[in-house]
Amino acid sequence: MLLAEKATARDWKPIIAQLAAVVGSKGIIQRREELITYECDGLTSYRERPDLVILPKTTEQVAAAVKICDENNVAWIARGAGTGLSGGALPVENCVLIVTSLMNQILKVDLENQAVVVQPGVVNNWVTQAVSGGGFYYAPDPSSQIICSIGGNIAENSGGVHCLKYGVTTNHVLGLKLVIPSGEIIDVGGEIAEMPGYDLTGLFVGSEGTLGMATEITLKILKTPESICVLLADFDSVEAAGSAVSGIISAGIIPAGIEMMDKFSINAVEDVVKTNCYPRDAAAILLVEIDGSGLEVETNQAKVAEICRQNGARDITIATEPEQRLRLWKGRKAAFAAMGKISPDYYVQDGVIPRTQLSYVLQEIEKLGEKYGHFVANVFHAGDGNLHPLILYDNSKVGALEKVEALGGEILKLCVKVGGSISGEHGIGADKRCYMSEMFTETDLETMQWVRQVFNPKELANPGKIIPTPRTCGESAKSAHKFSGIEQY
Amino acid sequence: MGDSTNDIPLPISVPIDTRELAELVTIANRSKSPLIVAGNSSKLDWGGMVRDARSIISTQKLDRLIAHAVGDLTVTVEAGMKFAKLQEILATAGQFLPLDPAYPNTSTIGGIIATAATGSLRHRYGGVRDLLLGISFVRADGKIAKAGGRVVKNVAGYDMMKLFTGSYGTLGILTEVTLRVYPLPANSGTVILTGAIEGLRNAAKILLASTLTPIAVDVLSTAFSQHLEISNTPSLVVKFATIPASIAEQSEQLLAIGKGLGLKGGTWQGEQEQQLWSGIQTGIWGSTPVGCKLGVRSTAAVDTIELLDRSTANTAKGVIHLSSGIGAFALPDASQIQSLRSHCEAAGGFLSMLQAPVDIKGKIDVWGYRGNAVPLMREIKQQFDPVGILNPGKCL
Ligand SMILES: Cc1cc2nc3c(=O)[nH]c(=O)nc-3n(C[C@H](O)[C@H](O)[C@H](O)COP(=O)(O)OP(=O)(O)OC[C@H]3O[C@@H](n4cnc5c(N)ncnc54)[C@H](O)[C@@H]3O)c2cc1C
Repeated sequence: MLLAEKATARDWKPIIAQLAAVVGSKGIIQRREELITYECDGLTSYRERPDLVILPKTTEQVAAAVKICDENNVAWIARGAGTGLSGGALPVENCVLIVTSLMNQILKVDLENQAVVVQPGVVNNWVTQAVSGGGFYYAPDPSSQIICSIGGNIAENSGGVHCLKYGVTTNHVLGLKLVIPSGEIIDVGGEIAEMPGYDLTGLFVGSEGTLGMATEITLKILKTPESICVLLADFDSVEAAGSAVSGIISAGIIPAGIEMMDKFSINAVEDVVKTNCYPRDAAAILLVEIDGSGLEVETNQAKVAEICRQNGARDITIATEPEQRLRLWKGRKAAFAAMGKISPDYYVQDGVIPRTQLSYVLQEIEKLGEKYGHFVANVFHAGDGNLHPLILYDNSKVGALEKVEALGGEILKLCVKVGGSISGEHGIGADKRCYMSEMFTETDLETMQWVRQVFNPKELANPGKIIPTPRTCGESAKSAHKFSGIEQY
Repeated sequence: MGDSTNDIPLPISVPIDTRELAELVTIANRSKSPLIVAGNSSKLDWGGMVRDARSIISTQKLDRLIAHAVGDLTVTVEAGMKFAKLQEILATAGQFLPLDPAYPNTSTIGGIIATAATGSLRHRYGGVRDLLLGISFVRADGKIAKAGGRVVKNVAGYDMMKLFTGSYGTLGILTEVTLRVYPLPANSGTVILTGAIEGLRNAAKILLASTLTPIAVDVLSTAFSQHLEISNTPSLVVKFATIPASIAEQSEQLLAIGKGLGLKGGTWQGEQEQQLWSGIQTGIWGSTPVGCKLGVRSTAAVDTIELLDRSTANTAKGVIHLSSGIGAFALPDASQIQSLRSHCEAAGGFLSMLQAPVDIKGKIDVWGYRGNAVPLMREIKQQFDPVGILNPGKCL
């Protein structure tokens, strides 16, 4: 829970006047009922109403607004579409939210150099739409891709179901125009993947809005493969599906993506989305996308099917035509939303484990769920070991959230214990910061703080996120390195 | 190394483990004695000249394998592990680290990361930054810190792996790193197109816009093509590594493209192919007094090679990796640096004169920084190394 300190109410009038001079009065939202939308992101259990929302359109406007915040010591938080799942865009008391929804222009499309320049409010799948006519696509495809913003993707280093072969957001960003918390405009990276000097582009991606705001983003796009095929295999145990994943990887095949859904998720999706392509009686399904030249796909598809069968797959469905492929993916991409339909609330975790630990960890998660009396559904990026345990609960029941958070915490600790991470793509935000000390020592965290110190010395940009402090996390802000002698990852 | 870093010989310390390394750094920091940070010293002369160094500190004894998680396609090693040694270990499991650095036999992993040194394989596997999953390092104050982790996907905390890649040992001394590894391709074949620059320019354009799936695509200057016994013209060298039928099919398609453009084409395989790629990897650095790393937009790659040919009367070896636009030139002297640099900058890129005699480095800017982020980078250096003991002057 947030322990926001009560600050004395601020006199917003002069600040509003200054901001209005920058973004116009239409670019400012200050009516209580309109501000409600901005109280939380996709992690709805944390809420805090911002005092003010501004909607800039240009880098210069962002820079001027940030400068005003700096001069008046006002905390500010960047917000894209608000789909984040770690409370990254959660307001703090007495803050201004800088929302990018009007910064929604695709500024440049350069197919020959395979690069696109966008404003941060551009929606993820607009990028692919803008270049697909030329036979290109933008690879990172979070399931929220029809609403989430590129700015949010940059801040979280988002992944998606196609990130096994081609990498996550950071592997597709060439350069950024940044407004740093002093209000200065800084260009990092550029048109080429490596420029002389420190890789500030790489440092900024995944910094969750704590180092400044990205106002222009140069993305790399990829050529759409000649041939693509999606293979759906169903298994009567999760372990069998897990061994099939290991089998595929050890055969030297790197599919574009390998996703797994367990029985509960399959049924939730079929209840809500009614794709009619996932077998309801399966214990687990795998969705494997294979791409490349026609011959490569043909060969690898046969190999993957064979490996699935060897590991006990019952049925295998193969889709090559775009509509069929999308149909197979649709249920997977709608999985979180489906949970939201069948349960009053859900809490999603994002831990990563070495993929060889899959069976063990899934069994342990089930046991933990039983211990806490909550059902945990699993739908996740199996190829890279990025779990998404979904804990279903009812927030209107007193004490339910606390219990769910405790269960979530145990799952994260389990991931760390087997050598993994507390977050693969959703970010630390407000949600997981108190678990950072499970992974990192005080020295590690202090070193990260050095980075923030340089960009954001007054902590005005997204204060309190990512790194635990005694104020936000109490005692657990101190490193919890209980296993002395061995490095924890 | 008889090198341009410092002409005076310096004492070298070779700590046997991380703890000893940390102690030495603590002492250097306390006594404000700048250190030259080295792995196996293969690239000690790369970059700016270190100011006022009192000694060299080398990680070469930190060379243990910590863990090769075969099924997870990751490997954790101490930073002083030799690249060649690591590849041997990985090969026993049918895997490899997809980097092709300049000095494969002598380089340490830490040195490769510090200089972001890789080449042709960028096309399929990305740069060093894209493979580095976790790091431990000794900070300038002697404390040991880490970032990232051992799994292939991880967003917990700032991405210090990116910050350290290419930071030339100026922010901390890497002691242990986790890298993503890949299955070794079982088959490969290389197509070479040679001939007039116009034809090569079009071939490059068609290739990039095609759905062919090569793992490396390089443009080579005339002198480099001659040196590698390819031709007396510039060349486009394309490696496929997939199933044999697809290699054959894709090679044919590419040869047909070349033919249509009036280029000569050939396919290389086996021993000869292997030697070719190892020649591309190692043939530039250290072969002439001045060695440069450069970058240009990929559409400018062939033109940049043409300019190199023209301005050196076909005598300079050069390679540009087509899709990333990153490349390397070997120049006899620094006379062309300024004009090549302005060309690269106009093409959205840069030119850094990594290797050059001391007097030249004293006269010409080594790095060719661009843009307005340099003050921020210097602040980072200041924050990480306030006394300035880690490779001061090397970069930034
Ligand atoms: C149904 C659903 C499915 C999802 N599936 C996936 C998935 O498959 N993979 C995945 O990785 N994530 C997924 N997510 C999480 C989420 O969509 C991503 O984290 C996304 O990148 C957030 O984008 P946003 O525009 O909504 O950002 P917001 O939630 O508005 O903000 C997220 C963070 O970014 C910062 N920020 C926003 N814009 C900027 C900017 N311009 N500059 C600097 N910082 C900025 C904010 O301060 C905040 O810290 C899913 C979420 C939902 C609700």
